[in-house]
Amino acid sequence: MDGGIEQHLAAGQHARAFDLVVPAYQDRVFRLACSILKDRAAAEDAAQETFVRVWKALPGFDGRAALGTWIYAITRNTCLMELRRRRPTVSFDDPDSDEAYRAAIGIATAPAEDPEHDNLLRMVDALPRTQQQAVRLFYLEDRSYDAVAEQLGMPLGTVKNLLHRARKRLMELARPSEVKAA
Amino acid sequence: MNTSMHAGPCADYEHEIVELAEGSLAPERARVIRLHVESCARCRAWQSAFASIDAGLEKALPRPALSAGFAARLESRLATETRLGGRADLRTSAERDLRRTLEALRRGTWFSAIVGATTVVGTCTAGLLLVRGLAPETAPLFAAFAGPERATAFVALGAVVALGALAWSASRGLLPTLRLRA
Repeated sequence: MDGGIEQHLAAGQHARAFDLVVPAYQDRVFRLACSILKDRAAAEDAAQETFVRVWKALPGFDGRAALGTWIYAITRNTCLMELRRRRPTVSFDDPDSDEAYRAAIGIATAPAEDPEHDNLLRMVDALPRTQQQAVRLFYLEDRSYDAVAEQLGMPLGTVKNLLHRARKRLMELARPSEVKAA
Repeated sequence: MNTSMHAGPCADYEHEIVELAEGSLAPERARVIRLHVESCARCRAWQSAFASIDAGLEKALPRPALSAGFAARLESRLATETRLGGRADLRTSAERDLRRTLEALRRGTWFSAIVGATTVVGTCTAGLLLVRGLAPETAPLFAAFAGPERATAFVALGAVVALGALAWSASRGLLPTLRLRA
């Protein structure tokens, strides 16, 4: 997929390269932004900002890192800037953040009405931030450890450990409700 | 053999039970893990709990998609950035040209001032020498300035006049460095 982009970049045809970059990366950039920002509208704004930065910086892209790695790093930086900007009002530890997330994501369908799903989302939000990001991204990216590692800029083993710890923690958190249900 | 439902799996099999569920285990190893799980209630319970959490996350975590207008909005934003960038480039270029022009003028003005001053001093001196040479009757006038004390007084008077002229020029912004500062 990146072959055509890299050919254009090598030929100095940055505008043509950019025309291929957007469709190739827009969904993954958006999902990465969603996993970090937990807000659909903010993630879309961040994705747009990311591509504007990519567009400006593409002529200076030296190819030392893979294009995807470079784009995801820009995405993460853009999202972190957004988080810093909103820090006074939004906290990762906000117990209501899962509701805000779901409302912002716009899934006013069956899952939002399901108390089990609500509980699970609340438990996900109780996880440490990096585990939350890994879990969200893993299921958004069709369970691809490689995609999560690439997008979060982490080694594959780290991502596997994060996910393992996250799911193990979720199993522990789920036990009291199972016991109660029983 | 452990029979507790919530004590967790056997440590050696914990990661491989996950890999078995994800289908990423080598066939031979997968067969070993299956045999173990069949005979170990603790691992069987953990496998079941993992499958439940995994399926729950798959269903509960929202899968947002970019809105249909994303590409159009990005294009519009890039067009705006291009216009702004173009204006900024023009402004930068104009400012650079102005700076270069002012530098050239400043250098030229100083050069002209030095040449002018040298010319004036040279012309005056040549004039005086010419007058003395062509009109011998003016010799007493020149003799009045002879002698070290009178010469010093003459130089001091000249210096005062020169400083006064400079101060007058500076007060009206006529000196090149003051007038042409960017």
